[in-house]
Amino acid sequence: MAAINASGTSEVEPGMRGLWLGVLVYRWATFVWMAAVALALTVRQDLRLPGLALVAVLVILAWNVWLSLTGGWERTLDRRIDLGLALALLPLSGLVMNEEAIRNTLFFATSFPATAALTFGAGSGVAGGLFAGAALSLGLVASRAANGLPPDELTDDDWGVLFNGVFYYLSAGGAAGVVRRVLVRSAGERSLAVEEATRQREKAARLAEREALGREIHDSVLQALALLRKRGKELTGPFVSAEEIHELVELAGHQEQALRVLLSEPHAEAPEGMVSLRTTLEAAAFGVQGVPVSVTTVGPAWLFSTEVKEVQGAVRQALENVAEHANATRATVFAEALDGELVISIRDDGGGFDYDEPRLAREGKLGLLKSMKGRIEELGGSMQVHSAPGRGTEVEFRVPVRRGSDDG
Amino acid sequence: MVDQGSELGAEPIRVLVVDDHPVWRDGIRADLESSGVAVVVGEGSDGGEAIDLAHEHMPDIVLMDLRLPTVSGVDAIRRIAEDLPHVRILVLSATGEEQDVLEAVKVGAAGYILKSETRADIVDAVRRVHRGEPVFTSGLAGLVLSEFRRVAGKESAGEPRLSARENEILRLVAKGYTYREIAQHLYISVKTVQNHVQNILKKLQMRKRYELMRYAIQRGLDRAAD
Repeated sequence: MAAINASGTSEVEPGMRGLWLGVLVYRWATFVWMAAVALALTVRQDLRLPGLALVAVLVILAWNVWLSLTGGWERTLDRRIDLGLALALLPLSGLVMNEEAIRNTLFFATSFPATAALTFGAGSGVAGGLFAGAALSLGLVASRAANGLPPDELTDDDWGVLFNGVFYYLSAGGAAGVVRRVLVRSAGERSLAVEEATRQREKAARLAEREALGREIHDSVLQALALLRKRGKELTGPFVSAEEIHELVELAGHQEQALRVLLSEPHAEAPEGMVSLRTTLEAAAFGVQGVPVSVTTVGPAWLFSTEVKEVQGAVRQALENVAEHANATRATVFAEALDGELVISIRDDGGGFDYDEPRLAREGKLGLLKSMKGRIEELGGSMQVHSAPGRGTEVEFRVPVRRGSDDG
Repeated sequence: MVDQGSELGAEPIRVLVVDDHPVWRDGIRADLESSGVAVVVGEGSDGGEAIDLAHEHMPDIVLMDLRLPTVSGVDAIRRIAEDLPHVRILVLSATGEEQDVLEAVKVGAAGYILKSETRADIVDAVRRVHRGEPVFTSGLAGLVLSEFRRVAGKESAGEPRLSARENEILRLVAKGYTYREIAQHLYISVKTVQNHVQNILKKLQMRKRYELMRYAIQRGLDRAAD
């Protein structure tokens, strides 16, 4: 049996190839023996129809060459033709040999017909192999009849030889079928094992990534805490400005947010090449100064990793704009996948403004909006701004969810 | 101090505070009592105490963390909500552990607020829960939307779903709109918005009951199949 390699690329291939090779070797070995026997029978003048015997040998030779060159045993039709030829060869053997010579000299077909049982079993399993073996057994009986020995004239010794042949054909077909079954099953198990190993590897990689992130954040949290403790002690002293206290509070706030991101378990594992939308938005919101930002997403949603930069950049710009100009007490990033689009909204409760593009352009305030819009349109999406004085502002990005795998 | 927060001369709201960190309990007590809106009638440090003290003091509101020793926060809330339906429960959570918060609301919490909110926000949340308003953060609204979205695809007869209006309102809450802003936006009254949110909560709690029922039936079937 060929060594089973664990590449996992072709499932049945390696083992099956070994099986086919074995059958092929058997085919040629028995054929050579058959040709040798034919020669010996001719020399000893045991053949009544040597011309027909020669034709039979040539036909089998041609067929074997054809099968070997084209790998025809993989095809059902070729296997059937092969069995048909072997079946024809058996009575023909009786026909070409001198009457009743079959009893006491070498058999013309030799054990070549068994190769058809092997091929059938290897190609279609145990039942197919046994079927071919049974058909050949009948052919064997017919070979006696064709040699002038109908069943009722067979002696006990004749029957013994026949049963030997029958047993041989059936076991050849059945055994090849069993080998095939084992190979197919172990290939299936192997591919499952390979899949499982791949899954485990990917999981480990993700965990490692997460741990690295955790370490980084823990480290910065510890530093922030240390700083807070050190500076906190000084707060009791007379020389601490309100600004410094504010700075400390901001610092604590950022670390809290970072930890919150880390602690919020991912809901589902990202498909290959994709990144969680939530993670992307949390990253965009991380460290925005001047306004508390909360991020909310509905269900799991994914971005192609190639889209992350633009989405993150646009959301970040929107949030920084809120922090700088909106005079808001809080900002919310909300995102969901809706009817084939990712809808991302950045909403603040600040002063709001009249969204009038021409006027904003005249006043030179359109630059940032244009830049955000450009990023989103780059992804085939669109941007809308809803705002009114005193009503806050909502910037909405819509990005189509693409199904392709590498067109991003 | 007291007159500043006591609305219409009402009695202060009686609050039971449950948190395993004494520092937090002290801080919250200080926040609530200095506002004049509420008095802390008891302090507990774990889930078991939350249940016992709720029975003992019959507070208006239990203000509690979810990460608690002995009995978990969610289990304590389920027990209190079953035994004392008139006691309202407000979850005060440090991390917003998402599934826990959703579970807490499903088993009867009237709202949820992050520990990082300002003192004024916390006091305001207590006041609103006492008035019977659900207190929803945008994060919780997102979770609830996810929860209903998750089942929207599946066929399950009779299970409560959100109406288009409820979806719209929930989405606005998730976007950080206050009830007042939503009311303005949709040209309806604040009271109507509150009613919608209240209904959403009821549907969520109904869903929980369906879930338990389905689970029980499933187990029954599994057993029958053995």
